[in-house]
Order: sequence, then C-alpha cells, then structure tokens
Amino acid sequence: MTPEVPVVLSEMAKLLIRNAAPGTPDGERANALTLSSMLIALAAEVWDGAADRLVQENRALARLLSVPAVETDLHLSVLQAQNDRLRDLLIIAHVAAEDAGDTVRQEAIWAELRTSTERRALSISLV
Amino acid sequence: MSHSLEPRLARYIATRMPDASHIEVSALERISGGASRETYRFQLRYREGGQSHTRKLILRRDPPASLINTERRIEFEAYRAFHGSEVPVPKMMWLEEAHEPLDHPFFIAEELTGFQAAPQMLFAGGYDGVLSKVAERKWTILGKIARADPAALGLTSIMDRIAPDACWRRELDHWEHIFDTDEATPQPIARAAIRWLRANPPPPAQTLSVVHGDYRTGNFLYDEQGEIHGILDWEMAHLGDPLEDLAWGFNPIWQFGRGHSGGLIPQAQAVAIWEQSSGLLADPAALHWWILFNCVKGQGIWVGSARAFIDGGNREPIMVYPAWWLLNAQDRAILKVMGRL
Repeated sequence: MTPEVPVVLSEMAKLLIRNAAPGTPDGERANALTLSSMLIALAAEVWDGAADRLVQENRALARLLSVPAVETDLHLSVLQAQNDRLRDLLIIAHVAAEDAGDTVRQEAIWAELRTSTERRALSISLV
Repeated sequence: MSHSLEPRLARYIATRMPDASHIEVSALERISGGASRETYRFQLRYREGGQSHTRKLILRRDPPASLINTERRIEFEAYRAFHGSEVPVPKMMWLEEAHEPLDHPFFIAEELTGFQAAPQMLFAGGYDGVLSKVAERKWTILGKIARADPAALGLTSIMDRIAPDACWRRELDHWEHIFDTDEATPQPIARAAIRWLRANPPPPAQTLSVVHGDYRTGNFLYDEQGEIHGILDWEMAHLGDPLEDLAWGFNPIWQFGRGHSGGLIPQAQAVAIWEQSSGLLADPAALHWWILFNCVKGQGIWVGSARAFIDGGNREPIMVYPAWWLLNAQDRAILKVMGRL
C-alpha cells in the first residue's frame, strides 16, 4: 500500500502519543483516534500476505515481460522497488502493444492488470 | 479547556465587526473529514445595537499541505454566488487570504445546523424511506447548477473561461500532470485510461457551466424528510462541461458498494432527473468519456493525498486513508468503466 505501511505506523505512533497528552480537544482526539484505528486495521489486514503478493506479482510481471525475476532480498521495500520497476516496464510494453495493434499482447496485459487489482483487494473495497 | 485558536479567531472577527463589542469565540472543535481544508465549527457571541447575539459559524482553514490544492477565493466566491438561489449553500461571512491572523488563509461561513452529511448514516437504514427523495433533490439541484449562467453569477471574473471544445483537454492535462508529479508508484491502469481518453475525445460542451467538481453523496446536507439543505465542498469548482459534474457522481467508487449511482438510484434515473432539471442532454458516449475521466481524476486525488503524506507536508491520517482505501478500488472502477472487469 502507498504510503508504505511502516512509515504510516510510525506516524500513527506519534499521533497516539500526542493524543494521550492532556489538553487535546475531545473532538480532535476522537477524529484522530478513529482514523488511526481504521488505518491500523488495514495494515493488519495486509500484513501477512504483503510479501507473498509482491513475489507472486513480480514473478507474473517478469514472465509477461520476459525479464528475469530476482528474489535475493525479501524485504518488502526491495520487493516493492522491483514491483515499481516492473510496472514501469509494463506501461512501456502496453504502449508498444497499442502502437503495434497487437491485440493479443494487449489482452495479456489487461489480464495481468485485472489480476493485480484482485491481489490488492481489501475486505472493505468499494469496487 | 478552550482551543488555542479561539482567542486569535475572536481578535480577527473584531477587526471585521467594528460596530460589535464583547466578541467571544467558544466551543471551537474540528469536524471530521476535511482533507483539503481544516474545518471547524464554533460559537460567536457579541453585542451590537444594544443587544446580545449568538451565531454558529464554520471556519475553513488551509492545511499545511492539502489533498486538493485550490484557491480558497474560488471556493468562497462559488458559495457566495449561489447563496439565495435554488442551489442551497451556507452564507459566506469573511475571506482572509493573509497568513498572519491564523497561520494559513481561511474563510468563515454560517453553519447550517441540524442536518447530516455522512453517507454512512444515510445508508444505515433509518433513511431508506427517503432515499429516492434525496436522489431526486440531489440531481435536480445539480441540474440547477448546470443551467446557471456563470456570467450572471459573477463567476467569469473569478474562474478561468474556456472554449467549449477545450474543456476536456484542460481537465485531462491537469489531472495527468498530477500523476506526473505526485505518483509514488507506477499507475499502469490509470495511464492506459488516459491514453484511451486522449484517443477518443468527447464532443464540445453543449454549454459552459459552473462545475462543482466534487458533487457526490457525502458533500450535501440532508434531513429526515430527504430534503437537501446545503451543497458543500466547492473547492474544485471551475467553469467547464456540465457533463463533467454529472459524471463525477457516476464514478463507481461513489456507489458505496450499493450498486446504485451515489448509492441511491440507477444511473438512468439520475440522468433523467438531471436532464429534466438542467434542460440539457447527457449524450451516452460523451457521458461515458466523462465517467472514465472522473475515475482518472479520482485516482489523481488519491495519488495526491499519498504524496502530501510522503513528502511530510501533511502527516495527518486523513491523508493516508483515501490512498489505502481507494487506490485499488479506483483502479477496479477504471477497469469496470472500460469494460475490462
């Protein structure tokens, strides 16, 4: 998820400390704590599957783009950086397929894009 | 314990009400939401003409970094233009564009009290009997906005004029630029939609209208009879194609998972109400273009909110929640509108 989960949780920790201090107006404390709890719940939902999702998607993208998949470092930040590179390449490949009128290639890319939204789907997704 | 803004706000109001005395600001509290402006309600007491007065007011202040970067003067003037018309809006009091009084520019308006805005409450069951009335009022009022004459409202001197055949390109250029500057991760689905939109432009706008820019369930005040008492959040208002405004509410995100436009009624019914009210036509192909555009615009807003948090300009949780909750859902909405889901 963007912004990345560790940065958000770190910021939420600071926010919770601020709201624990006396003098915070009740309404503002309630708003901050409600939103923070919703964010923490979403972070909890994606936590267990985050690395698996990125590995699965990076492998699928590498296959589609005919580039080697590199999995020497399984930190989420590294996997996400690889994912960003591969999705940049996917945009380039999509444009090339459109320019070439290669409908088979376009359909394969659309299929991966559709699958990518299923990998990222949250329990509270509106669509 | 009083809010630290209260005495500063009282001092400012004193400068705007030279005939008043004993000016006192109290009960100032921040209202939830408001990712593009910090919104507070407060109570103002003062004496004037030998009498005591009490008023409930709203303060809308620019945050350090916003989900949507807009000029607060445009928002202020849009409200002011429609006040007293068939389009219900709160009365504007004062606009302050200097930073000194409250650290950031702001405006103050009258609070419309006793009504609700939250979609969650509207869809919780207690309002089921009046949802069709809400829908009828919602799209009737939008039709009134569409048919209003921007020049007669005095808004052509505030908002940029544009040729009818240039509306779509200006908006698409603007939101594509947001992706270019703000996206933290590649957006292959939105980029594909942008390419399609450029390759298949809509016809020129049938008229140049005031476009609210965020006209959706959640941005109006409703009551238990299904009446609408205030159209809020005009911060993205501009002149443009009226279909842009109609289509924003048809972004599948704003179905709130209920399968109806705005969570209220089928799209065809909403279009019929709007056409009757506005006297305009919603060409299906043009409307489709604008719905897909608005999916891209929505994604641009969520991308922008993530960027504001990442860059540290605004570290409030309201900047993260739309990005986490809606980025993927908006991608799915784009796929749905493009027939790819």
